[in-house]
Amino acid sequence: MNEFKHARDEYESTPIPEELDSRVRAGIRQGEMGSRTKRHGFRWGIGVAAACMVMVGGLNVSPTFAAAASDVPVLGGLFQILTVRNYDAEDGQVNQHVSVPEVDAEGDLAQQVNAEIQERVDAHLAQAQQVWEDYHDAFIATGGTEDEWSQREMNVDVNYEIKSQTDTTVSFVVTMTQDMFDAYNEQTYYNLDIAADKDITLADVLGEDWVNICNAAVQTYIDQDTTGLFFSADEGGFTTVDEATSFYLNEDGSVTLVFPEYTIAAGAAGIVEIPVAG
Amino acid sequence: MSRILEKQLTDYLVTDQARFYRLAYSYLKDREEALDAVQTAVCRALEKQHELKDSEALRAWFYHILVNVCMDVLRRRKRVMLVPPEALDTGSYEDPMPSDGTLAQRVDALPPEVGTIIKLRFYEDLSLKEISTVTGCNLNTVKTRLYAGLKKLRVSMEGAEER
Repeated sequence: MNEFKHARDEYESTPIPEELDSRVRAGIRQGEMGSRTKRHGFRWGIGVAAACMVMVGGLNVSPTFAAAASDVPVLGGLFQILTVRNYDAEDGQVNQHVSVPEVDAEGDLAQQVNAEIQERVDAHLAQAQQVWEDYHDAFIATGGTEDEWSQREMNVDVNYEIKSQTDTTVSFVVTMTQDMFDAYNEQTYYNLDIAADKDITLADVLGEDWVNICNAAVQTYIDQDTTGLFFSADEGGFTTVDEATSFYLNEDGSVTLVFPEYTIAAGAAGIVEIPVAG
Repeated sequence: MSRILEKQLTDYLVTDQARFYRLAYSYLKDREEALDAVQTAVCRALEKQHELKDSEALRAWFYHILVNVCMDVLRRRKRVMLVPPEALDTGSYEDPMPSDGTLAQRVDALPPEVGTIIKLRFYEDLSLKEISTVTGCNLNTVKTRLYAGLKKLRVSMEGAEER
């Protein structure tokens, strides 16, 4: 197989990034933690990978965190975001990839948020199962065979991402998707001030005039848009932000507003994120 | 799993890290995603270490995890990629191989389930039996796909079954 000698040389010339070694070691630390920690008695699938995402996403966010993570896998500060449920389940047709965060901190806020996340995730998984079963029935009823059905697959994902983090605050998003026929996508944003034990509101960040500031930012963004995907006012487009408008905090403390698909623009625009200048 | 086996596992993961990265990169063609994939696979390996009974099978066992992670990323990507119907070339199913490019490039252009076998066999020197563990396919399927892949690549088949 001489032909493969060159191919192999070419393959082996792939440049290796410098940080590979630290990433492998980080993976080892996370995995060791996961295989030894049992939290809340959960033991789903591959088990519990505590703090996996924080390690990946949070390293260059909080100085306290970076310092703490460099030697011990226990984080400093007031709180941590842990992965409480992390499993992949595949029965050949319904594939679940679930990674559920939990805010580990003193105070009512953390508990409230955790309960809400738990509820949403359970609802999502149940709903996905329902969609799958309903579709199965419809599929068979319209002349599909079980054999054809067995070729079908559905992915159900629950994931989260930490947008920013300081010693006392955290901003993260939980994303739940399901891709049967109506690619269903639900995002929930959490902005928490752990020290004050309360949600961070747009008014907290932008001051009393937050509605006008946000509306101006959105209007400017829409005015500059060239895709033509935004709905006009009489098509049910953007009118104003309110308390329910989703947002997250960036690392520099600035705000990014998030509008779900179809709310202010055509589906092709996807989820629209609009930064608000501080 | 015993501490000795765990030490063996972590040593292996650290020593062979460049191989893992190259393999991940060959699927994902993206530096950051390949790094993420390696880290995730390593993390999963440690979490699932109790499943590993026999240190002889270590390599095939870990590649199994790594390849699955990469395939997941590819699958996830496929889901968000929107291809307008007119962009789909109806002939592409018959002849998906670009005839030009180096052999390595043509290997990368193979469908992942075939490419995996070629890469593991010729780049990573895994035996067909190990490859069958990695891919979760039985030995005959591995052989069939290997020959189909080689045929597409238009290289000779001698020596493919060595080891």
